[in-house]
Amino acid sequence: MTERDHALNAAPAARRIPVAELFFRLRALLALLVLVAVFSALSPAFLSSGNLVILIKHVAINAILAVGMTFVILTGGIDLSVGSVAGLAGIVAGGLISVGLPLPVFGVAVYFQVWLVVLIAVLAGTAVGALNGVLITRFSVAPFIATLGTMYVARGAALLISNGATFPNLFGRPDLGNTGFPWLGAGRILMVPVPIWLMVILGAAGAFVAARTPFGRRIYAIGGNERAAQLSGVRVNRVKLAAYMISGCCASVVGLVLASQLVAAHPATGETFELNAIAAVVLGGTSLMGGRGSVGGSIAGAFVIGVLADGLVLLGVSQFWQIVIKGVVIVVAVLLDQMQKRFSWRETSA
Amino acid sequence: MSVQDTLLRAAAITKRYPGTTALDAVDFTLRRGSVHVLIGENGAGKSTLVRILAGVELPTSGHLEMDGHELRLASTRDADSHGIGIIYQELSLFPNLTVVENIFLGRELTRGRLLVDRSAQERLARELLQRLEQDIDIHAAVGTLPLGRQQIVEICRALARDVRVLLMDEPTSALSPGEIHVLFRVIRELKAAGVGIVYISHKLEELMEIGDEVTVLRDGRRVAAAELAAVDVNWIIENMTGRRWEPPPQQEVSGGAPALLRVAGLSVPGRVHDASFHVAAGEVVGIYGLMGAGRTELLEALAGVRPASAGEIRLDGQRLDRQPVWERIARGVALSPEDRQSAGLVPTFSLGENMTLASLARHSRRGCLSAAAERGSTLDLISKLHIKSTGPRQPITALSGGNQQKAVIAKCLLTSPRVLLMDEPSRGVDVGARSEIFEIARRLAAGGMAILFSSSDLHEVLTLADRVLVMAGGRITASFARRQFTEQALVAAASAKPGGLHDRT
Amino acid sequence: MARNFCLTLFACVLFTTACQQGSGGKKSIAVITPSHDNPFFKSEADAASARAAALGYSVTVNTHDDDAHKQDQLFDVAIAEGASAIILDNAGADASVAAVAKARAAGIPAFLIDREINANGVAAAQIVSNNYQGAVLGAQEFARLMGEKGAYAELLGRESDTNAQVRTRGYHEVLDKYPSLKLAAQQSANWSQTEAFQKMETMLQANPALKGVIAGNDTMALGAAAALKAAGRRDVIVVGFDGSPDVLAAIRAGDIRATVLQPAARIAVLAVDQAHRYLTTGSSGAPEKQSIDCELVTPQNVDQFGVFARK
Ligand SMILES: Nc1ncnc2c1ncn2[C@@H]1O[C@H](COP(=O)(O)OP(=O)(O)OP(=O)(O)O)[C@@H](O)[C@H]1O
Ligand SMILES: [Mg+2]
Repeated sequence: MTERDHALNAAPAARRIPVAELFFRLRALLALLVLVAVFSALSPAFLSSGNLVILIKHVAINAILAVGMTFVILTGGIDLSVGSVAGLAGIVAGGLISVGLPLPVFGVAVYFQVWLVVLIAVLAGTAVGALNGVLITRFSVAPFIATLGTMYVARGAALLISNGATFPNLFGRPDLGNTGFPWLGAGRILMVPVPIWLMVILGAAGAFVAARTPFGRRIYAIGGNERAAQLSGVRVNRVKLAAYMISGCCASVVGLVLASQLVAAHPATGETFELNAIAAVVLGGTSLMGGRGSVGGSIAGAFVIGVLADGLVLLGVSQFWQIVIKGVVIVVAVLLDQMQKRFSWRETSA
Repeated sequence: MSVQDTLLRAAAITKRYPGTTALDAVDFTLRRGSVHVLIGENGAGKSTLVRILAGVELPTSGHLEMDGHELRLASTRDADSHGIGIIYQELSLFPNLTVVENIFLGRELTRGRLLVDRSAQERLARELLQRLEQDIDIHAAVGTLPLGRQQIVEICRALARDVRVLLMDEPTSALSPGEIHVLFRVIRELKAAGVGIVYISHKLEELMEIGDEVTVLRDGRRVAAAELAAVDVNWIIENMTGRRWEPPPQQEVSGGAPALLRVAGLSVPGRVHDASFHVAAGEVVGIYGLMGAGRTELLEALAGVRPASAGEIRLDGQRLDRQPVWERIARGVALSPEDRQSAGLVPTFSLGENMTLASLARHSRRGCLSAAAERGSTLDLISKLHIKSTGPRQPITALSGGNQQKAVIAKCLLTSPRVLLMDEPSRGVDVGARSEIFEIARRLAAGGMAILFSSSDLHEVLTLADRVLVMAGGRITASFARRQFTEQALVAAASAKPGGLHDRT
Repeated sequence: MARNFCLTLFACVLFTTACQQGSGGKKSIAVITPSHDNPFFKSEADAASARAAALGYSVTVNTHDDDAHKQDQLFDVAIAEGASAIILDNAGADASVAAVAKARAAGIPAFLIDREINANGVAAAQIVSNNYQGAVLGAQEFARLMGEKGAYAELLGRESDTNAQVRTRGYHEVLDKYPSLKLAAQQSANWSQTEAFQKMETMLQANPALKGVIAGNDTMALGAAAALKAAGRRDVIVVGFDGSPDVLAAIRAGDIRATVLQPAARIAVLAVDQAHRYLTTGSSGAPEKQSIDCELVTPQNVDQFGVFARK
């Protein structure tokens, strides 16, 4: 093991056989193509435009989470709080729309316009991300533990705000001027649902930032070798803080979309979402050790998971099998990742 | 030499990597009880050859023979079973494990096949360290040891096993003369026991002292081989480079320039005590000292990597001691660290990405990285520093050790430093490149850059520095101007017991 | 040293006051339920504690979050504080037996509500709503609304949950008798509103001809209703189970056509009353196992219902 590891460190290939390399690099996309082929063969409804739009809309939820999660994982961290943050953001928005911001001193409640409500909810989610970042950088709490903590804190906060109940009927009231919230989940621009636009915009922005800006380069550097990054003048703490804030921000967007789709905010929304997001990121080829991967890959990973989930529902496969199949796909993806490493090692030494 | 003497033979070994031929039909013979020196410029293929001899990599073509029988090495386990041991150029230790655990990792001494025999391991580890005259806590985590000591542990790891062939890839790059001396004694003992040793180093004096035979590699080809007794340093350098060797021109001492960096009373708890000195613009100052003298800690404190407990650092009169690393880099203080693997390089990055990491702002246009700017400056430095590679996009881990070192220095140079701090800058760098690095640094210094570097290589310090600071026991024990320094004076100052000069440590 | 002493003193004072609260004057009742993020459990706990307070008890309310281990600890606390009785919505049919037995050994009767445990004679009472009867009731109404024919979908609860199994059994007991009623799709949405929303959207793609959806609980019914509304399919009949206030509102608005109300609040009040009788007379005056019938809520009678109870 030792020797082999050493060999790995000493000699990854400069270039591999292009076909093999492409195969491994694009494994998420290939898996996606296979899935699409299988499902469209088995179900005529699969490739209908209506179904595709709905499918992509479902994927968008996980994909947006995965975009933020990618930044965190690239630094070598993890964010378990995204599901709870989504729930919290939804509840904050739901509360502000249906009961407003109560000011007990004056005995009144203030209602905000919807764009302000959305902004406040996103800020709340980003603040939880910032809390993660501060715990991890200033207090050196391990990311797993810190975000596990905030996962509970955010969930508890959502329950406290709503007193455990759902905020239903978030249509707003014309006399309060806060109508229009459902547009976020159900609206369309140029025939395409808003959540899909959000995924495209956040995904493109995320991919651009990661690949083309100094900030993105620093994210990768921290994951690759934190100490070397620090010695090179990377402000490690700041960059990590930003990564967790991005993740919190993406999570709150997801929370808003979900609440808007249901026109109701439920404090338990988003449970176990973090696992789906992490799975998408890993499927997309990002290493949990940090330093390697891409936003585009994570979105492809989210598509694989989403297509699989919807396709199996479309075919009427039982829940139990759905869970098993999803697990198998994730394990296979990670196996491929390992194979890729070993493969490249053989290539150089054979 | 007689056939019976031949222990290990490599015939027509070729090794191709995509884009490079690292070895081109190389023949190599190792005799029993002799030290065979391998030498060549950075990227010549030395490490590749020993990695093949150790079963780490398979040759593209060619074959190996041991004791006259064909030898097939599919893994390091095979090599191990044939009694071939290796000391890697880049340490292969696990920083979180202790010294004993590292020494015996993968071949633990066992009792009844299942239980690790701890006491036997500890006893043997102590014996090994004693043999190397090292006083290292065997229960310390390796990651907490300074680099030189880690290298000692790596050596112990190879010695813990009875070997017939020992491959040593730059075993002394982080050691100071005292340790090297002891190591040579051990090598002679092994020789006497009939062990064949392959020895790689860029320190020519060292090779002349310990070697019996020499093989010179250039661009993956064997260009010459000889008995060492029959050749001299100039012969080696000429064969390495393919050019006649001219000693680097002695630099004019720039006297009278104002102090650029001023350090007063700097202390790092337990490591550096009350260091005061200054470096003038355009000046090259060497810090000489033995292992554990506190050179690395001093440089790290200057760069802001290690907190100082007291003292003042001023750059051009401005206080620096409260500033974080990035701020110091922005003001013009850059450090090329001692351990390139753990502190210098991002292994997941390409050569180019590593080079620009410390100067990203400079390579951006309107908030986005500019590929053109990055390419421009990396290509420029790759050619100036002769970094042997297929280009900026080559993964950094596919570069030879010395070329990785050059990449780290290139990263510092790209920050346009006013004071360049280099901790053992020539670790693993070949003779030619060593003077080139300093020459380039000096040229860049024309604008007034100051250079402060540490080295445990006396020769290097003597030829390259305008002024030498000597450290011992965490204190600066002497400072010599160029005209004053002699080998004897430096060595004496380096081994001075600081207790004699100062009352307390 | 002095600081430590102060701390110890402070702790002692706290402890004694706590003890006094527990044992002094009033008798106390501990109410332990799953997490209040489900309004069902919240109303259950609220109803129990209001009734107990009205009967002159001091009340502690805690949640075990469906964690049997945490439930066990809450029992230890209740025993230590000298509670007179425990009202429990338990954290697992098998996993809870030991805790209830422990309380019994300490002389504290436990009155179980909503969910049963797999043991007889350990709890003082086990009062549950009749899920099977409720499911049959809901399915009958669903069949009537469907006109006894057409394609329908079913959203199941978490498939490992007993209630999910009992309810789907009750549904099919009725629906499978109508040959023209076709089960076009059946998916689990894990009791979750979001998941029901997404599954409904996808099922609708595979089966555009769906005429109705019957859901294993109200949250899933709400998710399905939201999806149908977004798809402009208000013609699809939705029936839920639980009788949550949100669904009552949805029935008033016409988004959901019927649900089955579990009288959670009534059961909780019943349990407190029986505990009171037990503490004053030594007998609860009722058999251990009691099953309370559910009631059907439709647009016609919706105004007669409040929070998990008839008004
Ligand atoms: N995994 C690899 N992929 C591609 N090229 C490689 C790889 N490993 C080594 N090389 C190339 O092979 C050549 C020889 O490398 P090697 O490490 O043997 O040099 P070296 O003589 O040990 O140099 P140094 O003195 O710097 O340690 C170099 O040009 C290097 O870039
Ligand atoms: Mg080498």
